[in-house]
Amino acid sequence: MEVKITTDGKETIAAFIGRLDTLASQEIAPQMNELAEAAGGTIILDCSELAYISSSGLRIFLSLRKAAAEKGGKVIVRNITNDIRNVFMMTGFLNLFEIQ
Amino acid sequence: MNSPFQYIRKSLSRKLSLWIVLFAAVIFNVALGFMFTQSLKAVREEAISRATKELDNTVLRVTSLLDRVEIATNNTDWLVTRHLNTPDSMFVYSRRILQNNPDLNGCSIAFEPYYFRDRGRYFSAYSFNDNGTILTTQEGNDHYEYFYMDWYQTAKLLDRPVWTEPFFDFNPDDIYSKEMIASFCKPLKDNAGEYIGTISVDMSLKWLSETISAVKPYPNSYSIMIGEGGTFFVHPDPQKLLYQTIFTETLAVPDPEVSALGHAMLNGEEGMRELEMDGVDSYVFYKPLGDTGWSVAIVCPESDIFGGYQHLRRIVLFIVIIGLLLMFFVFSRVVTSELKPLMLLADQTDTIAKGSFDQLLPEDKRTDEIGRLNHSFIGMQKSLRKYIDQLQETTATKASIESELKVASTIQVSMLPRIFPPFPERKDIDLYANMKPAKEVGGDLFDFFLRDEKLFFIIGDVSGKGVPAAMLMAVTHSLFRAASAHESDPAIIIRNINETVCPDNSSSMFVTIFLGVLDLPTGHLRYCNAGHDSPLLLNGGVTELKCLPNLPVGILADMKFVTQECDLTYGTTLFLYTDGLNEAMNKDYEQFGMERVTELLKPCAEQEMGPRQVLEHVLDGVRDFVQDAEQSDDLTMLALRYTPGEFATILSERLTLSCDLARVPELNDFIMSIAEKLGMDAPTSAQVQLAVEEAVVNVMNYAYPDGRKGFVTIKAMSDGHELRIVVIDSGTAFDPTKKEKADVTLSFEDRPIGGLGIFLVREIMDSINYERTDNRNILTMIKNIK
Repeated sequence: MEVKITTDGKETIAAFIGRLDTLASQEIAPQMNELAEAAGGTIILDCSELAYISSSGLRIFLSLRKAAAEKGGKVIVRNITNDIRNVFMMTGFLNLFEIQ
Repeated sequence: MNSPFQYIRKSLSRKLSLWIVLFAAVIFNVALGFMFTQSLKAVREEAISRATKELDNTVLRVTSLLDRVEIATNNTDWLVTRHLNTPDSMFVYSRRILQNNPDLNGCSIAFEPYYFRDRGRYFSAYSFNDNGTILTTQEGNDHYEYFYMDWYQTAKLLDRPVWTEPFFDFNPDDIYSKEMIASFCKPLKDNAGEYIGTISVDMSLKWLSETISAVKPYPNSYSIMIGEGGTFFVHPDPQKLLYQTIFTETLAVPDPEVSALGHAMLNGEEGMRELEMDGVDSYVFYKPLGDTGWSVAIVCPESDIFGGYQHLRRIVLFIVIIGLLLMFFVFSRVVTSELKPLMLLADQTDTIAKGSFDQLLPEDKRTDEIGRLNHSFIGMQKSLRKYIDQLQETTATKASIESELKVASTIQVSMLPRIFPPFPERKDIDLYANMKPAKEVGGDLFDFFLRDEKLFFIIGDVSGKGVPAAMLMAVTHSLFRAASAHESDPAIIIRNINETVCPDNSSSMFVTIFLGVLDLPTGHLRYCNAGHDSPLLLNGGVTELKCLPNLPVGILADMKFVTQECDLTYGTTLFLYTDGLNEAMNKDYEQFGMERVTELLKPCAEQEMGPRQVLEHVLDGVRDFVQDAEQSDDLTMLALRYTPGEFATILSERLTLSCDLARVPELNDFIMSIAEKLGMDAPTSAQVQLAVEEAVVNVMNYAYPDGRKGFVTIKAMSDGHELRIVVIDSGTAFDPTKKEKADVTLSFEDRPIGGLGIFLVREIMDSINYERTDNRNILTMIKNIK
């Protein structure tokens, strides 16, 4: 699992590559804390290469969303695959995020 | 029945008046009767005393008259015997008697033939009164040989003074014709005591008759006098005088009473007799006349004596009868008018009887019994009206309650499962249930539902029947659904129900419950019995499921209920019932009984009948027993048959991991390889991976708290149709299926961070099931793959 965080002006882009299972979620926790600091701006979660997400991954997404809401920023989920979209659908996440 | 009787019977006033009048009549009758009798006696006594007195008077007067004649005769007699030597003086003496007694008719001083030689054969100095002039003559001659006459001979022969029977004076010169005479004749004797002649003094009987006839104590009374032979010589009927005796008429028509009277009079008796004289009822008073041998009688017609009395009596009776009739009439009228309000009452009662309560009886100001009745009646009318109103209200209320009861009944029935078979898609379980309420709404309940791979079922019986029972039943039913939504332990579910029911149970009702949770994959049955009848197991034979009695729900809030367990084998039928079955009663109040239930179920067990047939068979049996008797209690039955399918395993793999999140990728690889082997498509595979990861991570996170080391085993099996994944651990008892379903519709602010794991498992898998057996948590997840 790998997360590439790049900053482009006001936008912070986090690209998830690989499987975001429970273990991976733990592993990327520090990076996510980092990312949360940028929650004042726009965070783009690029999921084009995210193959899998577990509930712990969803939890990370939700935490970011809550942090952004606190700091006045916003979270955009971009390029989700069908599998991930299914999970989002089941959990109601499609309504919580701006999906691009 | 004749009509006058009915006429009187119909009217109280007539009846009452009739009674009063009858009673008065009786009293009058007695009083008047007594008075009449006494008066009659008095009148009679008075009459007797009066007539007797009159008779005595008459006799006295007649006697004194006769005495005068006798005295006059005696006085002259003495002179005659002193002066026998001067025959002519006889004329003087004879004349003197008449002069001294002007009311005498005549006087003869007659001597034996040739007594005075010089005077020839006849010498009788005779003086007679010719209308106040006294004439004196010598009486005897060849035509009238006086010494052969009765008056002369009788005195001579009897040698004592004697009164002759009256006779018509025979006189050749016809001077005294029709003059009836009685003579006092006394023999004359010379100094030597030789009979020399007879002195005779004539007395006109007319005079005697007048004296006697003057006695008239009653207007129609009359006097009679009879001589020694019974000849009448005083009688009002001149025809009878001298020609008839008192016995004459008895010769033609025998009349013993008159004969007796005649004899009594002739015998010189004195007295009174009641008899019929000449066809008239009369009182006859009789008395002899001195020594004459004559008898005087006064005949008083009864009608004269009692005439006044009879008249009085007629008037009094007339007054009484008129009075009684008047009394009847007046009473009748008075009572009728007094009872008039009663007629009104009767009319009103008829009106009420016809169903009209609106009209009130007019108020009566009377204070007597009828007035009171009137008041009471008005009071009754008012109350009746009030009660009728209330009754109508109550009836309406009742009708509305009844319709509401019907609704309640419908709701109650709709709350219970009513689609059978309930799980047509499942081959491992068949279930049928039936409830027959005894009243509109029942106090029995049954319910069942599938949660995950578990069948929850309940049967219960609320104490009592009707609406309160049904309400408690509905509450229990809801509580069962609520408590078993996230709880699979029957004892805990019942405990929850009990804790909720107890505090609110003011009416001290209770529910007996049998609650079972059947784990369908394993056939493991957990059950808890709260005072209910033990279910029966049909498995070739009929046996009773061993149950602890426990207490019914609703009695003790802190009651500890105990869960029991057993395993159902293939084809076993569990038969649950309420006491409406074994206590069903026939007309003779005989209970159906457990023996009959068992007997009925035996063939079901032998023939391996399905639940529906079992219930129908039992119902038929009960119906045959009960016949027409009214159903005494709710009757509820539930039968479930467990027939788990054979699982033809084509794949079976297992993986045991230590509880370390670092092992999660291994798990994912394991599932992915299985998915590949089963040829599952990529999205399904990904979903199953997600579900299994969530389940396993759940175990890793929570099963072994306090840093204990533990393992989790994942078994994967498939028969080609479904994929079964079983997650087993030996950690703390934890039932993830109890977790509440996450609400995915909440906004992100309200969404909790966690809680999605089990939710995803449920979403992805077709069925999940938790079991805790042998201190292991066993979570079975099934995904249909084809």
